[in-house]
Amino acid sequence: MALIEKLERRFMRLGLLPRLIKALPRLSVICALIGVTWLALILPMEGQYRRTYISENALMPSQAYSYFRETEWNILRGYRGQIDELRDLETQTRNEIVASWLQEFGTKTAVYRDEVDGDTLYGLQHAARGDGTEAMVLAAPWVNVDGQFNVGGVSLAISLLRFFSRWPVWSKNIVIVISDNAHTSLRSWVEAYHTSLDLTGGSIEAAVVLDYPETNDFFRYVEIFYSGLNGELPNLDLVNIAVHVTEHEGMKVALNGVSENQIGDDDSFSGRLRTLAGSITQLAYAGAQKCYGHEAFSGWRIQAITLRARGTDGPFDITTFGRIPEAVFRSVNNLLEKFHQSFFFYLLLAPRLFVSIGSYLPAAILLSVSFMLSSLDNLLNNKYASTSLLSAYNTGAFLVFAVVLFFSFLVSQVLLHFPSTPVPITASILASLLLGAAKHGLSAPLAYRFRSLAFLYFGLILTSLLVVNFALAFGISLLALPMTFVKNESDFKRRLKNFILLILSNPFIAVCLVTDLISPDLSGSQALERLIFGWTRMGSWTWFVVCLGWLPAWLLVALSTSPASIPPSKTTTEDKKNA
Amino acid sequence: MFSRSSQVVVACVASRFGAAVFFPLLQQQLDRSVEFSTPVTSYRSLQEGVFLAQRELPVYDGGVVHQAPLLVAAMAWVSGETLRALAYACVDAMIAHQLMVAARVLRKRAGGVSAAGIPANAALPQPWIVGALYVLNPLVLLSTLSRSTLVFTHLAVATAAVAAVQGRSAWAGAGVAAAAYLSLYPLLLVVPIAAILPNKRCATVCTAACIATLLLLLVSSYRVSHDSWQYVYSTYGVVATFGKLVPNLGLWWYFFVELFEMFVPFFKAVFNLFVVACILPFSLRFYKQPFYAFVLCIAWIALTKPYPTLGDAGFVLSFLPFFQPLFGYFRYSVVTALLLVHAIVLSPIFYHLWVDLGSGNSNFFYAISLVYALALASMLVDLVWAMLRTEYDAGKPNLTLKMTPV
Repeated sequence: MALIEKLERRFMRLGLLPRLIKALPRLSVICALIGVTWLALILPMEGQYRRTYISENALMPSQAYSYFRETEWNILRGYRGQIDELRDLETQTRNEIVASWLQEFGTKTAVYRDEVDGDTLYGLQHAARGDGTEAMVLAAPWVNVDGQFNVGGVSLAISLLRFFSRWPVWSKNIVIVISDNAHTSLRSWVEAYHTSLDLTGGSIEAAVVLDYPETNDFFRYVEIFYSGLNGELPNLDLVNIAVHVTEHEGMKVALNGVSENQIGDDDSFSGRLRTLAGSITQLAYAGAQKCYGHEAFSGWRIQAITLRARGTDGPFDITTFGRIPEAVFRSVNNLLEKFHQSFFFYLLLAPRLFVSIGSYLPAAILLSVSFMLSSLDNLLNNKYASTSLLSAYNTGAFLVFAVVLFFSFLVSQVLLHFPSTPVPITASILASLLLGAAKHGLSAPLAYRFRSLAFLYFGLILTSLLVVNFALAFGISLLALPMTFVKNESDFKRRLKNFILLILSNPFIAVCLVTDLISPDLSGSQALERLIFGWTRMGSWTWFVVCLGWLPAWLLVALSTSPASIPPSKTTTEDKKNA
Repeated sequence: MFSRSSQVVVACVASRFGAAVFFPLLQQQLDRSVEFSTPVTSYRSLQEGVFLAQRELPVYDGGVVHQAPLLVAAMAWVSGETLRALAYACVDAMIAHQLMVAARVLRKRAGGVSAAGIPANAALPQPWIVGALYVLNPLVLLSTLSRSTLVFTHLAVATAAVAAVQGRSAWAGAGVAAAAYLSLYPLLLVVPIAAILPNKRCATVCTAACIATLLLLLVSSYRVSHDSWQYVYSTYGVVATFGKLVPNLGLWWYFFVELFEMFVPFFKAVFNLFVVACILPFSLRFYKQPFYAFVLCIAWIALTKPYPTLGDAGFVLSFLPFFQPLFGYFRYSVVTALLLVHAIVLSPIFYHLWVDLGSGNSNFFYAISLVYALALASMLVDLVWAMLRTEYDAGKPNLTLKMTPV
């Protein structure tokens, strides 16, 4: 204690506290900069990341010999030929035919009917050694993420199930799911499985989605996707098993859609950074961008991944691809408890390199702290700092905040029913123009309170998102950062600057711009509609985070840019002094 | 013609009752949330008790019901969801009313240093502001909507406090006894409450009234529960021995989850001592500001009790406006407020990560409950500091003088 007291005295003697308060704007920028640097420069550096390892001893991937080989190839080919002929039929007829095949080797089948999203055929194979309370899911949508007919995937799933049915080793039920598509119908089936379906096989421990489009026998490499909705990730052990098994069979693994020529770029800084950025964008856009299939399982304690075969020629045949789910199922089958050993919060820099939450979280914490510091700056660094807590300014700011929050909620609801991109963007531009150009505006103390409250609220939203959805928290804090540079001054240059800052940090504009820049398969003009789709059809919260977290803060800051009316001359000098 | 105070009371009833009627599902959701519901205060277990009592079945056999027998009997008498919503709204409005009465009495007596320990020239807040802040407090609102039985305890505590500042010793004692009857630990408040009363005789009367009322309540409970003392363990034993080991915002559960079995009884005693430990010191040190000591005591109990909810924090916060003149002395009110807000926002999120999604673990939620405890503790420390400074300034507030560097 004495030491702390001594330090405190020294701290005060040097007059550090007033200096720190004066330096708050700079500290805020520094925090943000360190946050970004941490993620973009430090983490991919040698020594910052770790090699992945299988944490749960029971899993033992690739310890058993895989038997799904050439003998099964003929059966697979048979199914594939038949399914290829079903290409042009209705889903219902297709499902009936496939159901009859599944029943031939003792699978209980049922069809989950959904008029809106499409029917889903599913079958259940009881485990010989299990008590029927746990299940593993093998899913293959009829149409894959790119709209291709998933012939290989479906025939592989059926022949794998047929192959599994001859084995006595299973201690968990195996559920095969053949849904209409990889997004809404699968999602709707997963929800129905946990709420209304009659034929169920217990709690689903893991799910593997197979994506092998068209009828080619050979492929070049395997893609693994794992980023779930709302920031959820499967247990790292499951991803590790999949990577381990795939590489054990000699295939190359690409994570999060890394292109073929960049596979194996683990040794270079840029390669790791690219995969890291890919992991973060995949996670942030999950639900809004195209869905691979595993997203459908989010929110029900199911560890899910998608396996995708890429290329139509190459050294690997389709049974090699089938050996991945086989070995993954063998491993998961060994589990005595739910997945709990390994990490649930991680970012992958390469198939076998990862950083855990302790390493990457500081980046987003620093960004959130930067907003908190900006809030303090607007509270303390002006001559209105000493007004009492219950003064009219504070109460007024809170009331306006409540109104703004309600308004944002209305905006989110209206846009849900009438999705549109140009309207909110034009409205935002107009609002920032009008507020910046207005002759009369708020009194200066109120403007400071508005900004203080806006940054406090946004910082709070970021903090609450940090652990739940790191990628989203990091992304929106980065995009909203220009807000913190807004200042009240009445000269034209400053106003123009304010306008530009507001435009850059506007939730709708920023989301569209960034989507256009970084997302390969989404254009900016679709971004808002896709976010709305993500909420209404997939249950991803991103739309509400943008509308109820970001928009109110932006609106408050925008309101604060209208020129200060009470004593303008003094305010200006005060601001200059602070700046 | 409505006075401001009656407007506040009407607003209290209207907001609680309106919210309960328009959002009927909110009650169940809040009752399932770990922040507003504990095994000993949950409405669900009260309902179970009512169900059993109405069918003449032994209420406390199943180990589910932990509410006092008379409360269960009273609830059996108030049947129907709407009527119960109205009853809870009225009880909450009565608390708001009691707070306003206390504020009025303390304001009137502000000549010289009053029971609240506020210097003579300092302006106490208008009574209706105290009431309005209670009504607007979201923690109190949500706690009432969850129909936590904590509301009844708080009513008894508030009544005792009002009676004490008014000098009605017997009522004060009875109020403490009722609160203690409902949830045990408020029994400790007999010390600060007796200290508020003007003289030794009153204090004796208060203590005697407390004991007498408590005995009366216990005996009538014995009669109500068909001549059985079984309820004593279910209501008080479970609280004092932390019989139901479930996560909550308090400091107890994680410790006892981790502890080896053989040490458990000893540390349960230690934790109970911890609750008792600061009551007497607060009352002794601030014997000149007994009302203030009373608020410190309820804050201390809210911090250290085995089954706290956010409703406890809301109740304690409602007493802060009484000390408005002290606000200038607070040293880290911003830090406290930020801690509290973050704890309140993050605790449901981390609990969701742990229990619903399974991607987090118990440490996540425990960390947040520590933040919550830190927020309450820093508020307590700041309050103590502010009063000590007021004492030091001897009635002439000097906010510019800094005693410590920060």
